[in-house]
Amino acid sequence: MLRSAHAPRRGALARKEARQALGFASPALVGLAAFTIVPVGLSIVMSFFHWPTFGERYPNGVDNYIRLFTNSPDFWPALRNSFVYALLYVPINVILALALAMGLGPRIRGRAALRVLFFIPVVTPIVANVLVWKMLLQPQGLFNGISLSVFGYQLPNFLADPQWAMIMVVVMSVWQGLGYNMLIFSAALEQLPETVVEAALIDGAYGFRMTWNIVLPMISPSLFFATVMTMISALQVFAQPQLLTGGGPGNATQPLVQFIYNQGFKFQNLGLAAAAAWILFAVIIAITALQFKAQKRWVHYEH
Amino acid sequence: MKHIRKAIAAAAIIPLALSACGGTGGATSEGGSDSKDIVIEMWAGGENDQKAIQTQVDIAKKLLPDYNIELRTAPWGDFFTKLTTNMASGNMACVTGMNSGRLSSYVDGFVELTDADLETAGLKKSELAPGADEVLMNKGKLYGIPFDVATMLVYYNEDQLAAANAPVPAPGWNFDDFEATAKAATANGKQGFAVGMGDFQWMALPISKAGLQPVKEDGTLDLTNEKFAAAADWYAGLVSEQKVAAEVASASELGWGEDQFSNGNAAMAVDGTWNAVSYLTNESGFNVGIAPLPVGDSGESLGLVLGSGFGIAKNCENKEAALKVMGALLSEEAQDFVASSGRSYPARASSQPKYFESLDEAYRDKVQAAFEAGFANVQGQRVSDEWAQVSAYLTPELVNAYAGRAKLSDILATAQGQFK
Repeated sequence: MLRSAHAPRRGALARKEARQALGFASPALVGLAAFTIVPVGLSIVMSFFHWPTFGERYPNGVDNYIRLFTNSPDFWPALRNSFVYALLYVPINVILALALAMGLGPRIRGRAALRVLFFIPVVTPIVANVLVWKMLLQPQGLFNGISLSVFGYQLPNFLADPQWAMIMVVVMSVWQGLGYNMLIFSAALEQLPETVVEAALIDGAYGFRMTWNIVLPMISPSLFFATVMTMISALQVFAQPQLLTGGGPGNATQPLVQFIYNQGFKFQNLGLAAAAAWILFAVIIAITALQFKAQKRWVHYEH
Repeated sequence: MKHIRKAIAAAAIIPLALSACGGTGGATSEGGSDSKDIVIEMWAGGENDQKAIQTQVDIAKKLLPDYNIELRTAPWGDFFTKLTTNMASGNMACVTGMNSGRLSSYVDGFVELTDADLETAGLKKSELAPGADEVLMNKGKLYGIPFDVATMLVYYNEDQLAAANAPVPAPGWNFDDFEATAKAATANGKQGFAVGMGDFQWMALPISKAGLQPVKEDGTLDLTNEKFAAAADWYAGLVSEQKVAAEVASASELGWGEDQFSNGNAAMAVDGTWNAVSYLTNESGFNVGIAPLPVGDSGESLGLVLGSGFGIAKNCENKEAALKVMGALLSEEAQDFVASSGRSYPARASSQPKYFESLDEAYRDKVQAAFEAGFANVQGQRVSDEWAQVSAYLTPELVNAYAGRAKLSDILATAQGQFK
């Protein structure tokens, strides 16, 4: 009796509150719709259209996707390049960042200054970074100059050689991206619970054993976070190859995002670019899902 | 209460109405078919660019006092992005600036100009410098009239050539002379030549050597043409075989040859007439000489005539008025200003001498001789519909060709198959 008397009133109140809440949330919702949902939806539509920047647009089913997989000479190489880059970049970056974070332990004097130093490449504009690296790597640059004058040995033309170019893109990216993961790992290392560490020490865990069996499992959530984010950013790489090697020589360092950029903004073929972007999205989602699945085996959340 | 509601409704509608005006009234404010409101859109970089184009518009205003002419500018890069958007939405300005290298992507937005149109504008093809009417032509159709013309020339470092005792280029020189100079100047740790990465820069010598363009008159690709392919292989061989030019450091070095020359690393490079003054007055302080492209196997040197000008938008409602304004912008008075300011080499033949008069006496004659020889045998640049893609494909591949990892003729054949 009491319930039935209250229920409609509570319902009315809830509805009124819901409306008010909607009113308060609407500015955010409008923004979300205008800048996220609509463009994302539109890009799905575009990927099923022949969509030049100007000129006639017409739906062409899955033609864009078929064309990418069967009749686009640059698509497979671009996909391959993105994978090669990610497979080289992610492990090197994570391992080096972890080593740096551990190396810059509390006993190192001036560790704060060193951390800032390693973080600087993360915050400096990439165009400036690339300019410096170009000056180091080109045949008339610093490295070859030193090698020639000291050893009399001519170094390869790093950015114009198909194999070296990709390696140098990775090296430069690692240098640029290292500081960010280092900071994440440093923060995790600082927060290791002393009780656990002390208990391990009493049990006789030192050196490698301490690192492998205690420290790494303790910071595994940070490791997981860093790996996932680094993998995503690696698959989205664009600026480093675009500026350092121009995707060349040939298409040896052209990653998928640069392929998308060329299709969409140089060749005005927005439909094909949208289709390629959705393929990249699918790849990233799949890899991230795999990582989340695998984390159950090695990430420990409870201390 | 009613009043309040009305007020709210009005307040809600006003911004909508205003934005609607902004959207449609923006570029097509030309209005009805006999309106004399004409908008001009043109690129302009810095303050000097801005002033120069404004002066030309002021001349047009003076010539057409009853017209209401409005100038809108955007920097070079943004201009074409904006134009793409305007074209897609049918909002192109009646008189729109265009460059020969970009025209093929924008032909859909411009009307084809007939002889009657030119008459309305008060312009005559015969008053233009030879070849200038081909600057804004695509597949034999005229889409605009240029205000300046340019072509590619060989720039050389006089000091380096003298130090290496290399023969100095002169009008009428051929490709054997070119090789001799390049070989002799490859000494003292410097290179005799620097290869180009941009279309115009790298293709200039192969085109002159072969005596033909890699695109046929009807706009179909002709990259596998035997003569052109052989000339292209010869060009890449300057790096990989003859070793008179350095390998390119990266496919992102789009201005490689020009930079190598400016840095004093190479004794010769190919670049456009538009950079003549900046090379002659270079900051490093070396003396620069200019020569036309070497004479090819056909007995003549063949160059491309490039340039920028104005065209009329398809969506323009008052074509006649727009033509009149275009005519005024390209009138003798306006062209004389372009020339005497020394900013670029005018397209109108009678104004061209004024360009040389504006130059420093120290190098005036040198420039004039090279320009006259350079423009002696020029053709409008032919491009295929997918030229932007051909060019984007070739640029990073050039690096492989220069390094000797692939033959340039094979790369051209691949491009021909891919973009035919």
